[in-house]
Amino acid sequence: MYQVDRAYSYIFYISLVLYLVSIFWGLFVTPEDFVQGNSYRIIYLHVPASFISQSLYIAMAIASAIFLIWKVKLSAYLVRSIAPIGAITTFIALISGSIWGIPTWGTWWVWDARIVSTLILFIMYLGLISLHDSFSNHEKADKFLSILVLVGSVNIPIIKMSVEWWSTLHQPASITISDKPAIDLVMLYPLFGSIVGFAGIVTCLVILSSKLQILRRERNKSWIKNYV
Amino acid sequence: MFNFEFNSLAEAFLMQSQNGQNHGIFVWTVLIIVFLSILATFIFYKMSIKQITKKLK
Repeated sequence: MYQVDRAYSYIFYISLVLYLVSIFWGLFVTPEDFVQGNSYRIIYLHVPASFISQSLYIAMAIASAIFLIWKVKLSAYLVRSIAPIGAITTFIALISGSIWGIPTWGTWWVWDARIVSTLILFIMYLGLISLHDSFSNHEKADKFLSILVLVGSVNIPIIKMSVEWWSTLHQPASITISDKPAIDLVMLYPLFGSIVGFAGIVTCLVILSSKLQILRRERNKSWIKNYV
Repeated sequence: MFNFEFNSLAEAFLMQSQNGQNHGIFVWTVLIIVFLSILATFIFYKMSIKQITKKLK
């Protein structure tokens, strides 16, 4: 925990500067999109949130598997710590997408496969938090939470592939591993910067959330008394 | 590549597109929501940690 505390400041300030510079670059320097006009600039806020919301769930699933297989207590704490941060990033992704939809699609909401699967992700995050907090026995709660996280991970490939499997209003991914990016490099660089910066800021939130979780759950242990 | 897209603050605020629509309201609303959400989350965790640390001391 001492080492994490030390790393926290570095991660926070580097990520914050990178995120703010990328957002500034994206909002004021990149040229207007010829189809969407200036509304496309929401991409620098929407895509990082959307990408991170799914990545956090994958991180939760990995931590859940580690907890169930090797019974590592810290993994269980991490699963519970990531859930609220995942809910917030998914909320940001949904809200920013809805606002982007008004000038682009002419509506703030459509029952489109990508949007509905993201809404399901948001509900899942909230459900997982409620489920864990409804148990008085923490060990039982950790076990149920981890199992449910693993079951729910089926939603992640659905979100990813929804724009390919179904005919959706949501545009297909602009950046893929196998193909050349569909957007110009001038627009792509600040997008990468905003994703990396946002990931760093969210990492800091996960560190704070994990710290809170550890302090709550280990409050009776002697090492905690020494730490505080 | 590093030329500003807008000539004044008013232009940047309105973000008028070539089709004549002002998109600034959408972009700025999203920016405010994102920044406030992140800020509120940081404040919540910082305060919660402070409270529990105080109790443990």
